[in-house]
Amino acid sequence: MDEAFEKRLPKPEDLHAMTEECLKAAFAGESQAAEKYLVFAEQAEEEGFPNIATLFRAISFAETRHARNHLRVMKGINSTAENLAAAFAGESFEIDEMYPAYGEIAKAQSNAQASRSIKYAVKAEMDHKWMYGEAREKALDGKDIAAQPVSVCLICGHTVIGDVPDKCPVCAAAKENYKTF
Amino acid sequence: MAEAFKNTPPAPEDKGAMTAQNIAAALAGESQASQKYLAFADVADADGYPNVARLFRAVAYAESTHARNHLSVLGGIGTTTENLKAAWGGETFEITEMYPAYDAVAKLQENESAQTSIRYALKAEVDHQGIYDSTLKGVEGEKDLGGEAVRVCPICGHTVIGDAPDECPQCGTAGSFFKEF
Repeated sequence: MDEAFEKRLPKPEDLHAMTEECLKAAFAGESQAAEKYLVFAEQAEEEGFPNIATLFRAISFAETRHARNHLRVMKGINSTAENLAAAFAGESFEIDEMYPAYGEIAKAQSNAQASRSIKYAVKAEMDHKWMYGEAREKALDGKDIAAQPVSVCLICGHTVIGDVPDKCPVCAAAKENYKTF
Repeated sequence: MAEAFKNTPPAPEDKGAMTAQNIAAALAGESQASQKYLAFADVADADGYPNVARLFRAVAYAESTHARNHLSVLGGIGTTTENLKAAWGGETFEITEMYPAYDAVAKLQENESAQTSIRYALKAEVDHQGIYDSTLKGVEGEKDLGGEAVRVCPICGHTVIGDAPDECPQCGTAGSFFKEF
């Protein structure tokens, strides 16, 4: 990425409180639009509209650029060690606070599918928290993590470094349902 | 059993009001985590941590599966016609309500970078609204979109169907940087 390219990005800025509130909400909106359009792309493919699927993926990418711009202005993009610390903190909040509270209410309201969606997420966030913690230690020493494959269950998001299990331990999906990075 | 075990994402269900609110909040949280990790992956690449970058991209994908699961429970995944209508509705809200209001606040508070980030997004949402509108008309006649490439400016998200311009009309980035879908 050359300098001229970098220069066109909106810069980190000291924000007034209300402007910051606005950008936070815009970041939330763009992030959700990007994710929804990826799901809509899969649906379009299933219905036999491959070009609409491509369109949804392209516009999802555009929303990702907006999300990144807003995040950058809010000073949310920093060094890798700092980003790993932020990621670790986010996962910890979801594990310790958010999902246990949401899980309890879904149980009280007898919402089985919501409970399942919450359980899948909280289990995977535990994998992520651990991985981010290890990676942060390395990054603080100026070291990268090892070059092992990272694989993700496409049903529940279960995440493993190294070999893929025969069956997902969280949702029991078969090995073929893992995507490897 | 001849057929391989096939798991599926959590299904839509009638929810208690509090559970519905929580799943909507969890969708917002997962979407933002996914987008942050994608931005953090680019930083890790630039910082010389290719394996940390890969980890961030894998975990971003895992958060996308959680976002999709929550969206499914909320009943937010429809047919392509319904999805295009929802996408059009979202873009329209951002163009007519959200970004003009946020822009007014950022102007009042003289936050220049925030205004740039808001302007980039707003201009691209106008592209998206138009494209979704014409695509929806096609699908209502059971026609897919044409097979032309969709191209997106990696700085501001400006979106065109067909050839990239020499220079992005919104932010001046060279057309050769546009990402093709």
